Amino acid sequence: MAAPVNPIDIQPRQVANKSDKRALLEAIRMTLSVQSAAIRHNTQTFNRNRYTAVARIADYDAMKDRARATKEKAIANLPELLRQLEASVRANGGHFFLAKTAADANQYIRDVLVKHAVKLVVKGKSITSEETRLNHSLEAVGIKVAESDLAEFILQVADEQPSHIIAPALHYSRERITALFKSKFQTDLPLDTGEELTRFAREILRQQFIAADAGISGANLIAADSGSLMLVESEGNIRMTTLLPPLHIAIAGIEKIVPSRIDFQPFVELLPASATGQPLTSYVSILRPPMTAPSFAAPGKSPKPREFHLVLIDNGRSTMREDPVLHEALYCIRCSACLNVCANFETVGGHAFGGETYSGGIGGSWEAGTGKLMNARFSELCTGCSRCIPQCPVRIDIPWLNQNLRQRMNHADGSSMTKSLFGSLTGSAPEDKAAPLPKQFFANYHTFGKWGTRIASLANESNHLPAARNFMEAVLGVDHRRELPPFPAKTWEQLFSEEPRPATAATIQPGVAVLADTFTNFGAPERGMAVIRVLRAVGADVVLTPSIPDGRAAMSQGMIDTARQQARAMAETLVPYLQTGRKIVVVEPSVLAMLRFDCKHLLDDPQTVAALAANSFEPLQFLWEVVTKSGSNWATVFPAAKSRFGTRLFYHAHCQQRTCDAGTQTTDVLRAAGFDVVTSSVECCGMAGSFGYKHDFYELSMAVGADLFAQVRNAEQDGEPRILVASGISCHEQLAAGMRRTVLHPAEVLVSTLTR
Amino acid sequence: MPMTVSQSGLEQFEAAATAAVATVDTIDRSPAALRDAIWRAAGDSNRVLYAPPQDHPAELFAEFARDPRVRADPTAEELVNTPAGVTEAFAGVARTGSVCVDVGYQRTGMASLLAPLHIAVLAAENIVPQPRDLFRDDVLGGKGLTRSFVFITGPSATADMGPLVRGVHGPHRLHIIILR
Repeated sequence: MAAPVNPIDIQPRQVANKSDKRALLEAIRMTLSVQSAAIRHNTQTFNRNRYTAVARIADYDAMKDRARATKEKAIANLPELLRQLEASVRANGGHFFLAKTAADANQYIRDVLVKHAVKLVVKGKSITSEETRLNHSLEAVGIKVAESDLAEFILQVADEQPSHIIAPALHYSRERITALFKSKFQTDLPLDTGEELTRFAREILRQQFIAADAGISGANLIAADSGSLMLVESEGNIRMTTLLPPLHIAIAGIEKIVPSRIDFQPFVELLPASATGQPLTSYVSILRPPMTAPSFAAPGKSPKPREFHLVLIDNGRSTMREDPVLHEALYCIRCSACLNVCANFETVGGHAFGGETYSGGIGGSWEAGTGKLMNARFSELCTGCSRCIPQCPVRIDIPWLNQNLRQRMNHADGSSMTKSLFGSLTGSAPEDKAAPLPKQFFANYHTFGKWGTRIASLANESNHLPAARNFMEAVLGVDHRRELPPFPAKTWEQLFSEEPRPATAATIQPGVAVLADTFTNFGAPERGMAVIRVLRAVGADVVLTPSIPDGRAAMSQGMIDTARQQARAMAETLVPYLQTGRKIVVVEPSVLAMLRFDCKHLLDDPQTVAALAANSFEPLQFLWEVVTKSGSNWATVFPAAKSRFGTRLFYHAHCQQRTCDAGTQTTDVLRAAGFDVVTSSVECCGMAGSFGYKHDFYELSMAVGADLFAQVRNAEQDGEPRILVASGISCHEQLAAGMRRTVLHPAEVLVSTLTR
Repeated sequence: MPMTVSQSGLEQFEAAATAAVATVDTIDRSPAALRDAIWRAAGDSNRVLYAPPQDHPAELFAEFARDPRVRADPTAEELVNTPAGVTEAFAGVARTGSVCVDVGYQRTGMASLLAPLHIAVLAAENIVPQPRDLFRDDVLGGKGLTRSFVFITGPSATADMGPLVRGVHGPHRLHIIILR
């Protein structure tokens, strides 16, 4: 007796639409218990392979710029390109149909198939046809649809929605496919290996290819000047679908158009590398249908003449095109890099982090754009960790799209007296007072930090009272299982003012202004002071800025107007330091991300944005990139052998720190000082700022963290412990929670080597 | 600017094709050598699909095509029940080890797709450095800008059934014969 396909009572289809938040929470529970292992394995394989594949494209960044520019231009000129494409397809002898809605597209395709008396149609993989629910529409009039991509075949047998935009059944392990096929096909054939399962499906589908009267494919790109299609695959089913049957229908969104085949240049390399991490997939077809080669005729029949229909669908895309933010999603080439690099997606996949058709970081914009705003509710699972930003081949700032969706959903949820009062007390911008209380709480953490540190002992006491924790969980959404970082007796600002000035004059002038970020100032001032001491030890003149919120916490809650207010105030505080020639050093990596790449969304003056980005540093990055130039020998300045912590370290760089290219320098400095450092390779620890504190997402956050905890244990397999080191405060909390051990900031490690 | 590759490009092509799990045989350019190379790869096949070339001289394939096992004008039954198919490739790509096959030309598409073994014949001078080079009007006479073709990189494959499996709807094996 094979294992059950799904041992719990929630079916993916039941929770596909997540406009009701309960569906999202149920879906997380279902995916964590049934699908997580397979999703992790498959997405992490794609993710590793992608890093290798893109590294082999010598001019990767230039190609991305070109791909981005091509898409920007194409979407801007879309009406003209549509006219050109229609003319090209007709000149080739094909038919062209522009469908305003999904229903229009289905109706057209149904009419064409009925006119040709088609009984059986084979389909290549097309997520656009999932969007239109084409199969249901055809089956309703008695046309049999054979999904020929093996993943789509699995989904058709299981009656499930895709869980990934290019590998739609990647939530199925081999064992679960065996169980599924055994139960649905009632076969005695052995189906216990990938080969046996593949052979079984191939034999069924080979007969369908031979018998089919029509083939329906999608298209990855379409060239307007020639009516050419690009189709990327590895199984050969799309080649079969487009080559064998006399009637070929291609369905695609209007955003797939580029001006000419020459514009395929960047995409032919970027798409496969970014998707599965292959230099090219087995088959990349470049077709100009209808083809002149004869179609396949079953034995005893003569080949029918070929006929081709291109069906382009709008279905909300024209509205997206006018949208100041969501138009970016139209640049998406559906490579799935943003899914595979996402720690949350790697853990739950698209049945939780996805809607009825589209999934992952980019999926929210597509579900909202082609459906209703609230269908994007699952984009709550985007923590804004930013790891997808450098992976996107068309440079879409995906977290920014999700933050905007969140803002719109906050507004759509409606305001109330309580929300409004809470917002006024805590500092939300007027536009953001409709946001749910937990969001306003996390966005305005600075305010709570100020209150909390004033009454630190009382606040810390009450944090341990069950009643207080129940209140926080029920009203503010803070999970009771999370340790709250205690409010310190003295803030970083206070400690800094009490710190004796260095005895010797600073050699690095004009030195640095260390930003007293909210999280370090109110949550971990000892980490901040360690950074100050390290900077002074290398001779930098150091000042500490006033403590100010930076806007990132508010932004991640979709409270963009509050974020804008905070970012403006921060820029006003920081610019005078830049004018005196100081560099900005930022302890908390999420705040560094704000200065490096998020300010462009929030500040009006591009020069200020550029100045903040160019002059801000993570502390050890500052040491490695600026101070090393003055000839510092780190083994002498910070001799590892003198550290009371020993020399064995396990270091986890913060997600946003790595996106800022400010992660490896920490390891460089520590190793140069003589430490033995093992680094993590996970994309994110799972805490991701406020995300892991939220009651709704606690289990998911800990499940994500499991990879990191396993890497720590793996690094200590020789039986010798390592000191845990993390640059981000939330990574610190997550590591401490998962390993039940002290976690240090890299600067604290360096300070421990200084002789007193 | 000439875009074909040098000796090092040929080596790069062979390494990349091998990495993509294709097999490669480099031979002298003669009808007899080609015939022998094809049968070395097709081995004990009782029948071989053959798509006559449009870019290479037909004489080059003449020795091979003379064999009674060769089907240049196959029946439907033969198309779907033959162990090997032979086609020309009008281009190769050094970085990826891909061959480019014109699927819009007669039965070249079917001969390269329906049999478990696909044997592609590629002239060394038609190997270009990168995939993008196919979309240039100054490369290979701009064929990549007008034809219906497929970049073929290794055999068909899937990971949809769990582990990586080679040989799905398309060929299980790809053999490339490079003509010096």
